[in-house]
Amino acid sequence: MDQKKERPGWEGRLPAMAPLANPYVPFQLEDPPKYEARKALVRGTLFPGLDLPFMGMVNQKEKPVTPLTELQTMAFAIQELALYLDTHCGDQEALSLYRTYQELYHKGMREYSEKYGPLNHATPVTGPYRWLDDPWPWEYCQNQEG
Amino acid sequence: MFVYDKKLQYPVKIDKPNPRLAAIIISQYGGPDGELGASLRYLSQRYSMPFDELKGLLTDIGTEELGHLEIVGAIVHQLTRNLKDAQIKDPAFAPYFVDHTVGVYPTAASGFPWSAASIEVKGDPIADLAEDLGAEQKARVTYDNILRLSDDPDVNDVIKFLREREVVHFQRFGEAMQLLREKLNQKNVYYMNPAMDI
Repeated sequence: MDQKKERPGWEGRLPAMAPLANPYVPFQLEDPPKYEARKALVRGTLFPGLDLPFMGMVNQKEKPVTPLTELQTMAFAIQELALYLDTHCGDQEALSLYRTYQELYHKGMREYSEKYGPLNHATPVTGPYRWLDDPWPWEYCQNQEG
Repeated sequence: MFVYDKKLQYPVKIDKPNPRLAAIIISQYGGPDGELGASLRYLSQRYSMPFDELKGLLTDIGTEELGHLEIVGAIVHQLTRNLKDAQIKDPAFAPYFVDHTVGVYPTAASGFPWSAASIEVKGDPIADLAEDLGAEQKARVTYDNILRLSDDPDVNDVIKFLREREVVHFQRFGEAMQLLREKLNQKNVYYMNPAMDI
């Protein structure tokens, strides 16, 4: 099977002339294929080319859509694109996607904090002091919303 | 500075307590290839990095690792909620319990407490990035091993996410190494220490 044709984004670029006694990891090519953000979260990467699971163990089911998982989804896409842009700062497609997810994140954060309280101490929320409201992030139970 | 966001990077919702599994997973909290070491390694190495891309990448990955530390802490906490008497007396968990009860303490599964000896900050970007490539692989294998040892679907869902992050970080550190070589633009990259001599 021609893996390159079948699965674009699975190969990267190595230097044409590589000095000896150096370790090489190929550069991910620009504008690589990307998962949709909700799938990216459960796969642990936005990039199908880097999705290399152990013994075929893969999270198939996406997270139920809640204000919190939407926020986690957007934050994860932003983080993944940030790391990519740190080494590919000229990729305009990635930069524009990064900005799109930033907008969605801020919109989601406003909706989330109105309902569940502030995400951090800089989140503007009116009414009583809600920072101490349950649940704390490590305290969720199965089937608990959020 | 750091600002705390009151959310995990990835949801952790574990149904069944399992202290035996907690006693294994604690290694990714405070073991030799765990998330505490990862975050401190990268956040400490960045001071001697010469180029903006390297400073940015170590800051961003180091910060993400702090988020992973919190995720692993949440897994250990949820696996040790509402324990029954017999579970506390389980010989696989009792040695942890006697010292830490159901608190989350940075230690390896072997009982060896977290040690800065398990990380390195050499102050030379090639040496440090080579360490980071190795560190990501070692953390990846630890997660592979956890997947072999655990049959809890709620735990494995999160472990698969954390494991995949190691693969992505390895890729980025490898690219950072190439960027460094391109910027040095010389045949012998070992001619000097770019942290000091440029």
